[in-house]
Parts: sequence; C-alpha cells; structure tokens
Amino acid sequence: MTSTSQPILLLGIGTAGTRMARGVSRAFGEGIRCILADTDASSALEGEDFTLLGGDRLSGRGSGGDLVAARLAAEESVAALDPKIEGVRLAVIVTALGGGTGGGATIEILKHLADLGITTLVFATTPFSFEGEDRQRNTRSAMSLIEQESNSVFFIPLDKLVCGEDVMEEAMKRAVDTLAGGVTLLWRLVQKPGYIRLDADRIRRLMVDSGRGRFAFVTVQGPDRAAEAVDSLMRSELLAVASSPVNSILCGVLAGEDLRLSELGRIADGVRDAFGDHVSFELATVNDEKTFCGRICVVVMLFETLVKSGKGPSSGPHRRGRASRDKSTTSPAVDRGRFWNTTPTIWHGENLDVPTFMRRSINLEF
Amino acid sequence: MSKIHAALEIGTTRTVLAVGETNNGGRLKITCHAEIPSAGIRKSQILDISQATQSIKSVLREIENRNDAAGSKITIANALLAVSGSHISASHAEGNAVVEKDKVGDDEINEAQRAARNIPLPKGRELLDIVDQDYEIDGLGGISSPKGISGTMLKLNTLLIHADSNRIQDAKTAAENAHLEISEPLFAATCAADAVLEEHEKRNGVLVLDIGGGSTGYAAYSDGCLADAGVIGVGGDHITNDIAYAFQTTNAQAEKLKKEEARAVLGQYSTENSRVRLTGSSTLMETRSISRRSLDTVVNARLKELFTVIRETLEEKDLLHRMHAGVVLTGGGAGMREIDALSRHELGFDARVGKPIHLDGLENVLDPWAAATISGALLYSHRTDEEKSVLSDLFGRFFK
Repeated sequence: MTSTSQPILLLGIGTAGTRMARGVSRAFGEGIRCILADTDASSALEGEDFTLLGGDRLSGRGSGGDLVAARLAAEESVAALDPKIEGVRLAVIVTALGGGTGGGATIEILKHLADLGITTLVFATTPFSFEGEDRQRNTRSAMSLIEQESNSVFFIPLDKLVCGEDVMEEAMKRAVDTLAGGVTLLWRLVQKPGYIRLDADRIRRLMVDSGRGRFAFVTVQGPDRAAEAVDSLMRSELLAVASSPVNSILCGVLAGEDLRLSELGRIADGVRDAFGDHVSFELATVNDEKTFCGRICVVVMLFETLVKSGKGPSSGPHRRGRASRDKSTTSPAVDRGRFWNTTPTIWHGENLDVPTFMRRSINLEF
Repeated sequence: MSKIHAALEIGTTRTVLAVGETNNGGRLKITCHAEIPSAGIRKSQILDISQATQSIKSVLREIENRNDAAGSKITIANALLAVSGSHISASHAEGNAVVEKDKVGDDEINEAQRAARNIPLPKGRELLDIVDQDYEIDGLGGISSPKGISGTMLKLNTLLIHADSNRIQDAKTAAENAHLEISEPLFAATCAADAVLEEHEKRNGVLVLDIGGGSTGYAAYSDGCLADAGVIGVGGDHITNDIAYAFQTTNAQAEKLKKEEARAVLGQYSTENSRVRLTGSSTLMETRSISRRSLDTVVNARLKELFTVIRETLEEKDLLHRMHAGVVLTGGGAGMREIDALSRHELGFDARVGKPIHLDGLENVLDPWAAATISGALLYSHRTDEEKSVLSDLFGRFFK
C-alpha cells in the first residue's frame, strides 16, 4: 500500500504542528501519509507535501497570532486539501495552541474534514503557564471549538512534557519531540502491527461517544519492565486529570521479539484495573526487534465519555456528509464556568451552559 | 384587624421576602419588602443549604429591622414559597365522568374534578398547582361552564404543574433552619403572571416570561386559562457567565457590564461610545476597555437563543400562534435594555415589560418587574384568604 492510498492521514497544522508531524514522519520512515499546512510559507521544506493557507490574504507571512485571521485563511484554502485526502477515513492532526494558526486554522480544517465524513483525532499542545494572557486566551477560545468539531481530542499541556530545569530552547524541542514520539508509536501500532492488530476502523469505533481524551506513553527496559511500565503510566501527570469518566481505552504495546505473554497480560490487567473493568478496552501490539530491542513501549489513550442528551444531533445547519456526533453536548467543566457543578441544560443536543458565542463560533473584536 | 401575608423567593441572584396587608378597601398592599444577594444557589437549585439558610435569616432580620425602624414589631413565622428551576414541568391530565341524566350536573362536575386530581405523579415529584383548563362534552371542547349542557360523557382537561420533591424539600429545609415555616410552595412564573396580567390578556392569549438569574419560567395563557407552563434552565447568570468568558473578566465585573452597559440589540456605535471602560477590582489592576459592539453581541446571542428555545417549545405544542395579546417580560432579566424590542423581533408579537398591577406598595421600587413573582405569591395568599372569608361568611349566616 503506497502512502497516498492509506486510509490514515497525519496532518500537521501551524508552525509547531508541522514540526511535530515532520518529527513523526522521520521517526517512522517511509510509508506515512503526511500533509503539512501553515499560514507561514517558511514552514515548508523541499520535498514535503505542504499546503499554504491564506496565501492571498496573508501572503505566506503567518497569522501573527491572530485566531480570526488564521480561521479566515484556512476557510479560503481548505479546498486545496481535497485532492490530497482522497480515500482518507481517519485524520490524525497535530498542532499547538496559543498562536493563531494552530488554534484558528485547525477549527476550519476540522469542519471541512467532518463535511467529507472523515473521522478526526487531534493532538494539541497547550502553552506553558508562563506564556502570557494573550496565548492563554487564544487557547481557551480554540479548545472548546476544537472539541466540538473533532471526534476526539487530546489536549497536552506543555508544562507536563518538560522539566522546569530545562533550558528554554531545549524545553521546547523536548516537548515537541516527546509528543511526536507518542504519535509515532500510535502510527507504528497501525502501520506495522504485530500479533494483535489495530486499524483505522478500530480506532474510529473507540472514538464513538467520546469527547476529550488523555494520552501518555512510557518506554522502559529491564527484567520487571511490564510492572514498571504500568507503574510509570499510573504516575503520569498526563493521565491524571479527567473532565469526564473514561469510556474506552486503547493500549498499545510495542516491543521486540522478546515480548512475553505474561508481560502483555500484566500490562493489560494493570491498565484495565486502573480505569475500571466496565470500560471498553482494546489492545494492540507491535513486534519490531530492530526498533525496540530489549525495550518495551506502552502507549495508553483514554477516550472520555461524551454526555449525550438523547435528543439527537446539535441544532444548526446540516452539513453534507457529516457523521452524526452529539459533539456539542460535551463540555469540559471549564467552559461551563460558574455552572460547572450543576445539572447541565441540554437543548437539542447542545449544552446551553457553554457560552452561546462560543458554540455559535461568533467572532468578537477586542 | 388586617390580615398579614408573607412570601419568600429563594432565587439564584437574590433572596426576597415581602410582607403585605389587606387594607379596608380589600386591596393588598406590600408593607415591607427586603432582598439580599443569594449564596449557595445556582440555576435556581440550592447547592448549599447552610448558605441558603443564612440568606433567609438575613432577609428575615432585614424585614424585622425595617419594621422596628418604622415603629412596629413583626415576627414572621410562616410564608408562601415561590419556586423556580428546570426541575419544574407541566403535564396534561384529564378527568372523566359519565353523564347520568342527559344533562351535566354538579355530581358529574365534581366527579370529573376528583378524577383529574387523582392522577398519580411519577415517583419523586410533588404537585405545585393544578389548573382546570376547559371541559369537553362528547368531544366538544372549550366549555368553561358545563352545567346544564346535554351529553353523555364529561371530560375535564387540567394542567398539572409539578416539581422535584427533593428540590422543594431543600428549600423547605433551608427555611425551617431559619425558623420560617413554608405554608405552601407556588410556581414562580404563574405567580408573576397573576401579578402583571389583566384578565383580557389571558382571554386573548398571552405569554409571560419570568427571566430570573438562574432560569426562565414561562406561562402561556389562552382562552382565559393557563395552557402551558414550564422552566428553561437559562437565566441572567448565563449572560453574566458569557460576558466573563468573552472578555476574561471577574463575575462581578461581568455583572456590572450586564446591568450598566449592555443592550439586547445591536445598534449604531459612534467613535465616542464604541468602547466600554472596564475598571479593575483593585487600584493595582490595569484599567482596560472592551468593544461595546462585542459586549452587545455576546448578550444578543444569548438572549436570541433563549427566545428561540421558548419559541420552539411553544411551536411544538401548537401554542405560539395563540398569543394574540403578546409577550410580557418579568423578573430581574426583564430589566435588560431593549429586551422587549428583541423579544418582539424573535417571537413575532408585541412585547412589554410587566409590572405588578393588582396591589400597591411598589411605587418607590426602581425595578418593579423584578418583584412580580413575590407580588404574585402575596396576591395568591390574599385571594385565598378572601375566598375563605366569603365561605365562612356564607356558613356563618347559614348557621346563625
């Protein structure tokens, strides 16, 4: 299967997103279907499949941290992606929130992919806590819209990917590389399966009825590597804070030829015990001696429960080809503000406690 | 000696207690009225009973202090309770009676009323009110007085307004902890309607919207009786929350913006008034400004959505087109600038802001529309007493 005929697409959006996608592509090697998109023309490197967003509007100079400008740019250019995404059923999007393109363009691209019936899984980093009010505000504005428009989203705080003692440049690089590493493992699970396979349709089934998710991975080696892997995952801050109960779990185990059945069982049992037996659980493996040789990597993706009203899809204009999702009933506690601890007011699948201007994507001048 | 009536409203934004007396002319007058900011309540639900109790104690103390200052002593031991919240809903019920002697008599009417009142509610629900709507005789409906009409089967259509028993009990518990006994819970929206509507409006068909802090109650009248009622779990607090989110302000700043600067409809914005200054909560905080147009956009979006929900609710029940007398807006939310204009635009009927008209004592109140519910609760008490007096008069004369 050539890369252009694969049903899974990796899409990097924005400067950091293109860097992460590039990192995944390089780590994985040949055969990954990957598109990069940015408002900044300098993000493109020779030989890559790069789409410039808003070329007429922004002249390739970037969005300047303006969410609205980035959304408009993406809206103008999104159709240019169509010939490149023929046959795609699942798009994995990597991006960084806080600036303009990562948050703004991602929203418009997600809407377009949904119109085409493509399932979307987003990995989005959120800024460091010290990065300033403008970036935090951009992030908050983008988060709920991305959650509405995607099938599942993993928000990964940069604060949790690095250590406070890191030098700034190294910290940024490490954060990007860490996330790219995790997404690479997911790719390996799909593209180079072992005895227990994972494919696009299985991932899509896990994402039904889900909203936000949590994502973490560990790499260990040694005689007690299975127990240590489970222990490290349970202590991971990336899996710590939930906004909703867990609906389903994907657990991927990547190792060399020395992976034992007992280790697989120990990992699966440990992850299941931590999040409840009632949760839907999928296990996948990769056996790659050349890459892993003595090491074991465990990737865990937790898909959280989407709260449904039972009244059907959200109100608003019907989009051709849109997969039925009660997405707008998911609202993380932060977007309900002072109503976080009350029974939500649900109307035709929409949570009316979430600010109206956010749900309607109304742009405000400041 | 004039009878004293007391009513309590434990709202999301304010806890209100009002006392009224019937004067010599038989008209009710509010003699004392106190309100304090509520605590422990969100979307009309009590989340913290001790805070709600404290609010009730504070408002009781306020009433007693005001009466002391006026030279009269008052101790309030019980009161009616006006209730709102999205746990309140209305359902239709009917009571049937076979007409024995070809014409409807008192026996059949009583039988139909008894049958309608015997409809069991789902577990966990408590009846707030039962409203007789109209009678049908052999399928012919719209009959208000069936006595003497020929037929074989009499049916009484009623509307049951009921609430979550636990939510009512929470309010009663909070009041009892403040040494105030609740004599009867009432539905806030119908109380407000009784205070602000004329009889001809009910006959022509009118919709009352009681826009509170935590929720919006509605009461739709048609052909003189209550056709439907309910509560939408969206209120003034949602506007405040939207503003706080949009402009990254504190709740207090958002509330101030809502009350002092915002409008329900978008207008013309000149250079001079295009920005709204937003003062910080301390002198150390930077003062910034926000776009007035954006502020109005946020408020407009929320209110438009609320009116859309109301419109669709009534359209589903085939009621909207019967509101010939238009829409009457009450509650604290009715004080939003130009909300009547927006309502007119969204619901397609004339709209006005309703003030209590069947009682006195609110002449010096700046926002009388916010007192509609408490006024209606007092009116209920006053009218119930009047009915009891009439009955006791009749019996008194009969047995003398």
